[in-house]
Amino acid sequence: MRGADYVIKRLAFAVLTVFIAVTINFALFRLAPGSAVSNLSRVPHATPETRQALKRQFGLDKSKFQQYVIYLQQLAHGNLGISFANSQPVSDNLRTALINSVPMVFLGTIFAIVLGTLTGIVAAWRRGTKTEGASLTTALTFYSMPTHWLGLMLVILFAGTLPTGGMSDEFLIDPSFTTHVKDLGEHILLPSLTLGLVLFGEYTLIVRSAMLETLGEDYVLTARAKGLKPWAILRRHALRNALLPITTLIALSLGYIVAGAILIETVFSWPGIGRAVYDAVLQRDYPMLQGAFLLLTCSVVFFNLIADLLYFRLDPRITE
Amino acid sequence: MSVAVRQPGPVIEAEPIRSRRGIVWQTIKRRPSALIGAGILLVVVVCAVLAPWVAPYDPHEQVGPVFGHPSWSHPLGLDDGGIDMLSLLMWGCRISLVVGFAATFVSMVIGGTVGVMAGYFGGRTDNVLMRITDYFLVIPDVPLMIVVAAIWGPSLFHIVIVIGLLLWTSTARVIRAQVKSVRERVYVKRARALGAGHTRIVFRHVLPQVAPLLIANTVLTIAVAIFDETALAFLGLGDPSRISLGKVIENAFQRAAISTGAWWAIVPPGALVAVIILGCSLLGGAIEDALNPRLRVAHLSARSFRLRPLVGRGPDAV
Amino acid sequence: MKKRWLAALVTGCLAAGLAAYAATANGSSSGPAAQTGGTFRLGTSSRIDSLNPYVAFNQDAYSTFEYVYPLLIQYDKANRKFVPDFATSWKATNGGKTWTFTVRKGAKWTDGKPLTAKDAAWTINTDIKYAAGGAANSAGLIAHIKNAKAPNATTLVVNYAKAPGNVLGQFQQFPILPQHVWSKHTGHKGNDLKRFSNNPLVGAGPFKLSKFKKDDIALFQRNGSFYGEKPLVDAFGLRMFSNEDALVSALKAHEIDAIEDVPGTAIKTLKKSFNVRAVTGVSQTDFIINSNPKKKKHKELLNLKVKAAMAHAIDRKQIVRVVFLGYASPAGSIIPPATGGWYNPTVKPESFNLALANKILDRAGFKKGSGGIRVANGHKMSYEVITPTDVPSTNRTFQILQPDFKKIGIQLKQRALDSTAAFDAITAPDGKYLNFDLSLWNWVALIDPDFMLSVVTCAQYEGWSDSGFCDKGYDAMYSQQQLTPNQAKRKALVWKMQRYLQAKRPYIWLATQDAVWAVSKSWGGLVASPQGPFNSISKLSLSRVHRQ
Repeated sequence: MRGADYVIKRLAFAVLTVFIAVTINFALFRLAPGSAVSNLSRVPHATPETRQALKRQFGLDKSKFQQYVIYLQQLAHGNLGISFANSQPVSDNLRTALINSVPMVFLGTIFAIVLGTLTGIVAAWRRGTKTEGASLTTALTFYSMPTHWLGLMLVILFAGTLPTGGMSDEFLIDPSFTTHVKDLGEHILLPSLTLGLVLFGEYTLIVRSAMLETLGEDYVLTARAKGLKPWAILRRHALRNALLPITTLIALSLGYIVAGAILIETVFSWPGIGRAVYDAVLQRDYPMLQGAFLLLTCSVVFFNLIADLLYFRLDPRITE
Repeated sequence: MSVAVRQPGPVIEAEPIRSRRGIVWQTIKRRPSALIGAGILLVVVVCAVLAPWVAPYDPHEQVGPVFGHPSWSHPLGLDDGGIDMLSLLMWGCRISLVVGFAATFVSMVIGGTVGVMAGYFGGRTDNVLMRITDYFLVIPDVPLMIVVAAIWGPSLFHIVIVIGLLLWTSTARVIRAQVKSVRERVYVKRARALGAGHTRIVFRHVLPQVAPLLIANTVLTIAVAIFDETALAFLGLGDPSRISLGKVIENAFQRAAISTGAWWAIVPPGALVAVIILGCSLLGGAIEDALNPRLRVAHLSARSFRLRPLVGRGPDAV
Repeated sequence: MKKRWLAALVTGCLAAGLAAYAATANGSSSGPAAQTGGTFRLGTSSRIDSLNPYVAFNQDAYSTFEYVYPLLIQYDKANRKFVPDFATSWKATNGGKTWTFTVRKGAKWTDGKPLTAKDAAWTINTDIKYAAGGAANSAGLIAHIKNAKAPNATTLVVNYAKAPGNVLGQFQQFPILPQHVWSKHTGHKGNDLKRFSNNPLVGAGPFKLSKFKKDDIALFQRNGSFYGEKPLVDAFGLRMFSNEDALVSALKAHEIDAIEDVPGTAIKTLKKSFNVRAVTGVSQTDFIINSNPKKKKHKELLNLKVKAAMAHAIDRKQIVRVVFLGYASPAGSIIPPATGGWYNPTVKPESFNLALANKILDRAGFKKGSGGIRVANGHKMSYEVITPTDVPSTNRTFQILQPDFKKIGIQLKQRALDSTAAFDAITAPDGKYLNFDLSLWNWVALIDPDFMLSVVTCAQYEGWSDSGFCDKGYDAMYSQQQLTPNQAKRKALVWKMQRYLQAKRPYIWLATQDAVWAVSKSWGGLVASPQGPFNSISKLSLSRVHRQ
């Protein structure tokens, strides 16, 4: 199949998936028991008239199909609706939440890559020895720990030395630049470390596989026979070999990690997108939920697309 | 998730046909990681099954003060209701394992069916089924689990269903690839030529070859299912009338165990979950490795992420 | 000798007098003198859900409004009497149908514009106009008001259609909004009122909001132009945590100075190095029995004897001990004791007596069947108890109730749902309250009893009612107490209503939780209240907090 064909096909599929996701998400929430109005109308001093007015105001008195059409129309204009909970635009709420989540997730991914690469190299280089077993076991053990439990373990270990909640110390009035950076760093360290520790196992295995492959190749044996230093060999061939799967793994993981960070955000009181989704579910905040699901689905589809295209471009061995 | 770093050449070679019963057992005997994994699971299952007779105290009975310290009569201390932690762990194992097995059963049935049908019939059936699978893969799984558990109510039944409905995709993909390769084998073609019906061929020839891989995948899925249940319980969406390991962690968390210094209420249950997941990962990974050594599948699915193909899509997807 | 003894006595008296004077001057009972300045950092596991009074639902939001907006009235330190806030004096004329408030002169909003009685009148009239739409939140507070007028900058006249008995209680919860800011947001038939983010917030309280990050932090600075008692601190902040562990850890690490709601399990450790204070609160947990007279399924639950038997099968002492670790007291009435005179002390919690409960059910004809479960109208007395997942005490409470109910032959099953789904299950189908049997929940009462008494009226179906209770006799008493200006008569009626409700038992009250807060030893001056130190009852607490 020619390259352009492939790209177009993937793009079309991506768009279709998003549309199906949007429709199914809409249906899922509207079919749910526990309507938003009952929640909204539990305002202090509500009367039957106010409840009716609320229904009208949020368009919940129209038929489900009409609501669906309205939703699609708004979506086409980039309007994600108004949150039931705080009456603010959903896009604003999501943006704030996302801005809070991204640095933590990003740093966590970096931790995972660094730790994974180190352990992967060690495991491959010392193939067949106890060190390989030890590094693989470590990777696997951390990978098996429940994310939230590991977060709580870190809290137990570091309570008192590092802050265990929130994004920053909000009570610092006009801090100097260095104090501010140090404060942010202290707060982001534990949550991103948790994320890094639970994820690095995957990277370990990829790097190890890539290294083992390369180290067995003829040209490597030749290079060693010629007297090239091990690190040079590693750098030039093995790591490059691992680059492709690592990149693809990152791209794929990013699509999912944001959703999976819910657990970490709950443990560390991090006001990110995970917590936003959780709160929206409890409050039956349909617009927020639809917006968040749309965002998460789009990000997964987008990053999967990137991964596909990357792999297609970078791996000469793929033929279809 | 599955990361396949490929050798040049055909992806899945025809393996020398070993006895289907033999491979799982042989793996366990030969590879230390599989042995450890199987051993762990055996101990845990036995403990869980025997809990009503072996547990020192009743898991609903208050035997001391809230967050009582570990002592000789209560080696793991007491939880936030004054209940013996050790007994809670034993009983908690039962529910966690039940959820794990049940959800995996659901996903195995769905995934196995989809995989076999897609791999065996090929063509349009294959395409349609794979499209559906692809759709399920892009649903954000943790948020969806939260939505369903919150909306339908956190009962054990709902949790099992929702976890099963999200995990079947990995099984489907793996089975499909294996079925495809088996279908091309000589004896299957011969059976078709002799006029054997589809059902007969599937059950007598295809499934036995697929079984070991299915077992490996099942074991790995159990790990994910148990993890997902812990996550749901932690977010307050577990079944409150049953004690699962995730619920034990959540109870302690809700009642400020850490800041009160009651580490024994949090550390043991999570460690136990980690051990179970580790056991499943070791066993499942070892079996898969034994089945497809040339594939070098770096297989970790203990995270709640489902198997995603890194190597292309369509017919070559793994 | 005599002289020396006399001198000692005089000196002693002088010293005592000086000490007493010093104590009262501080407003606190601790010795050292108050220092002004600094930032008081308060932590909570709850949150401010919105800065807009037409949207907000959470208690912390209302406490915020108390401190940033002018209200006509507030409660005094003992939470018994009404004392001036923006209004300096008030009188009722025309049989209680006309109330005239004199308000402060020369007051200003934080943006410099004048704050006068006209703002108060505008707020009231706007809420009346849009009561069915954007201003629904305040609809109950302005009930029975015809209109409000401000003949001059310092006089507010409120005209009622009927003379209510709780005017001051209502205005104590009513923040006055700046007309020049909010009048721009009354479009779309008043629905724009709810859309206004109200950040930055133009107010006129002892503090002004300087920073607000949703679910994270709210910072308040001292308002130099406040018309009343100026705070001793420069600023205070409310830091919102998503779980109680992080909250307690932050206090222990001195990242915050106080917690407004201490989890029971942490009290013991915190007592070692912090001042922990517990007062009887206004939050009560309750066991709800579906009391809809039109109920078809399980009609035996309407039987008063069955309800009485259930009441005797509840071990309140055990609940207080295990669920609240002793920081609660058994409850019997819909109105908690902390409301002062409104509470009827003769309405006591029923005794825990399984034998008595069994006897009542035996005599009522509910025989025990297979498995020891009684049979009523041909079916087992087996019921589902709906519990909201966001009230964590309900889990442990249920675990205490279940075995005891089994001993009197009633089987209980738990159905946990989040509060939205739980409320929907209770009102099902379609607000008719026909399906559910039992539930566990909790209520946070106000000082004025009107709100709590309203939740069991027929009008609150699909609103606040979670019991389906609908009784004409009770509704008549409710309207009457609302329209009785004579406080003594009103109190007698409120007492009568409590006895009535205990007999009819839509609720079996379980425990009244203590309000427990913890403060670092270097801070003092917080004013105790059943709602905690940061509350919507008065402006005193955070105005008087200071370093020591």
